Amino acid sequence: MPKCTINGKELEVAPGTTIIQAMTRNGQEIAHYCWHDALSVAGVCRLCMVEIEGNPRVQIACNTVITEGMKVNNTSEKVKEATKWGLDFHLINHPLDCPICDQAGECGLQDQYMKYGKYDPEMAEPKVKKHKVVSLGSRVVLDTERCILCSRCVRFTDEVTKTNELGIFNRGDRAEIGTFENKPLNNNYSLNTVDICPVGALTSKDFRFRQRVWFLKTHDTICTGCSTGCNVKLYYNKEGLFRVRPNYNEAINGYWMCDEGRDVYKFVNKEARLLDAKIPGTSGQSEWVLPVTAAKKAGARLRGSGKSTALVLTAQHSVEEYEALLKFFKSDVGSDRVFAWQQNSEKNEEFDGLLLRGDKNPNTRGLQESLASAGVQTKWSELVEGLASGQIKTVVVAGPENQAAFPDLKAKILELSKAVTLICLTAGKNADLERLAGDVTLIPLKTYVEKPGTFINFKGIRQTVKKGVEVVPNSLSLIEVSELFAGRDLPASLTDVQPYVPEKKGAQIGKGRVHNESYKQRGSL
Amino acid sequence: MSQVQQPKAITRWYLPGILSGMGLTLRKMGGNLLSYTSGQKKMPTLNYPEEKYEYSPRFKGNHVLTVKKDGSLRCTACMLCATNCPADCISIKAAESDDPSVEKYPISYEIDILRCVFCGFCEEACPVDAIRMGPEWQTPGVNGANFQYDIQHLAYRPQLKGGVVSVLDETERHKAGI
Repeated sequence: MPKCTINGKELEVAPGTTIIQAMTRNGQEIAHYCWHDALSVAGVCRLCMVEIEGNPRVQIACNTVITEGMKVNNTSEKVKEATKWGLDFHLINHPLDCPICDQAGECGLQDQYMKYGKYDPEMAEPKVKKHKVVSLGSRVVLDTERCILCSRCVRFTDEVTKTNELGIFNRGDRAEIGTFENKPLNNNYSLNTVDICPVGALTSKDFRFRQRVWFLKTHDTICTGCSTGCNVKLYYNKEGLFRVRPNYNEAINGYWMCDEGRDVYKFVNKEARLLDAKIPGTSGQSEWVLPVTAAKKAGARLRGSGKSTALVLTAQHSVEEYEALLKFFKSDVGSDRVFAWQQNSEKNEEFDGLLLRGDKNPNTRGLQESLASAGVQTKWSELVEGLASGQIKTVVVAGPENQAAFPDLKAKILELSKAVTLICLTAGKNADLERLAGDVTLIPLKTYVEKPGTFINFKGIRQTVKKGVEVVPNSLSLIEVSELFAGRDLPASLTDVQPYVPEKKGAQIGKGRVHNESYKQRGSL
Repeated sequence: MSQVQQPKAITRWYLPGILSGMGLTLRKMGGNLLSYTSGQKKMPTLNYPEEKYEYSPRFKGNHVLTVKKDGSLRCTACMLCATNCPADCISIKAAESDDPSVEKYPISYEIDILRCVFCGFCEEACPVDAIRMGPEWQTPGVNGANFQYDIQHLAYRPQLKGGVVSVLDETERHKAGI
């Protein structure tokens, strides 16, 4: 284990550690663009200059391996000058149109100029003009003028996705990023290139120009798009949710997430949500009421109804919610007819080799474990038979949050509507559900952003998420629904934010390796 | 430390103060009457609304959105004015332009003028001279008047006679290679 001194601090590092790795892992600041912890070393930006004792010239920290007794600093005047004038070269051809650029506010070039640069430009030549607003596939836009040729995105497609779409074309100051013969960048991880781009060269078509980043707040949670359970950061403000970015978690997703997961915020927004409860009215017409009222009315009908009532659960809710609802069903309703609604179960074992799995539910393992501990062993066919023979009269459905992940949604709604009484708990609005005539109750649910809960991913890692932002204020979580069903009023603690307690064996959210403090917030550099 | 001063002997009397004050009033009245009749116009008051006061060019009145030479909006929807606004009265929606050299423009730009405190921070924050505080200040309205100013009002209201042209021109900037 070589020992070294960095900025006066003695460190013992693993053999083969580079200076920049040692510095960022120990909370020391160093300017850099091209270096990324998960990618290979390119050494093209020449910003991470350090002075090594006994060496006459400054050297790059990203490509220098620490040797025994090395004394390094990046605070001397020599290093500061080298970084400062290195930045000048980056800005030679970079247009200064930050007001238009979508990266402004989270731009590496802006930040580092304010920290290490602050010089007057000494370049007299006009800037080289390149291609602007180039569409690279269905999700990414490229602006070659703003690119500083750090080659992070090229290395990403080369090393992580191994699809090799991107490359650097031409030489010298005419060099630019592009795809061969303008083929699109359409792999399922393309938006990670936008995250790692330190400038505004690569931007996301979905997020571009919709909000300034400084108007957005963040919430650390997990992605519920599939059973991997990647750790993500949600960006939101009072107008709704705007984008999803990955959080570092070595045990689950590393630095990346798939493009499919980037759309997972969309069903949380108000436009896609059921806002109030719908109950069958007295005169045959249905009426809209507050969810709490609807849940209390439905609960009064459910209590003690026995074996004629069945419960259908999707694997989209948290473990605590399953437990609460199962407990209510066992003790208050007196029915053990609980069925798991598994969509596309034949595709569950599919895996794309990186992160995305075929099982589009975040909590399949959690549902299985909850059902097993409640001693439930049923098949879907029993529900169909029970509905046909009239043994099952009432069905309570804890429906899907992410309706796009349920290709059998319409067929299942038709199947379940054969019940005399249907009580559907659903977060999203659905035209098919609202069109159903007869004794149908719809109660709006909270989504994973609006409630605390535990999700178990395909590996069995338990992840507890905190409550984030409230989108539909009246909606209920399944815990609240089961309390109301049982005839109790809501305790105040249920609606409060619960403190985050990390599980012993589980991975923690957003607690990756300690990074450079200022970049930790952003997650891209 | 301040001390309470005892009133002097003369100010204890009632009439001297009254008379000297009245004297000043009468002197001013006489002067005004004489100058008005002789047409010299030294009157400090105005016969509003027939006569109107000319404010200095630096006066901060209602907002004006400037335009480019071709008449399109100068604003690039960078939202710095909305960020800087202490009254939170500016709301902008950005959109992608078909012209790659323009790239971003506001599809909606609204100022809630009743909420505005006329501080001029928007003008100061603007990097491209797209918003200015104009000379207008008399903008009353009766019931149902619209105080939510949109692009049509801010940039193209009849008083502006086709729009105020911005001093910063993008084409020249591009030509200069900055």
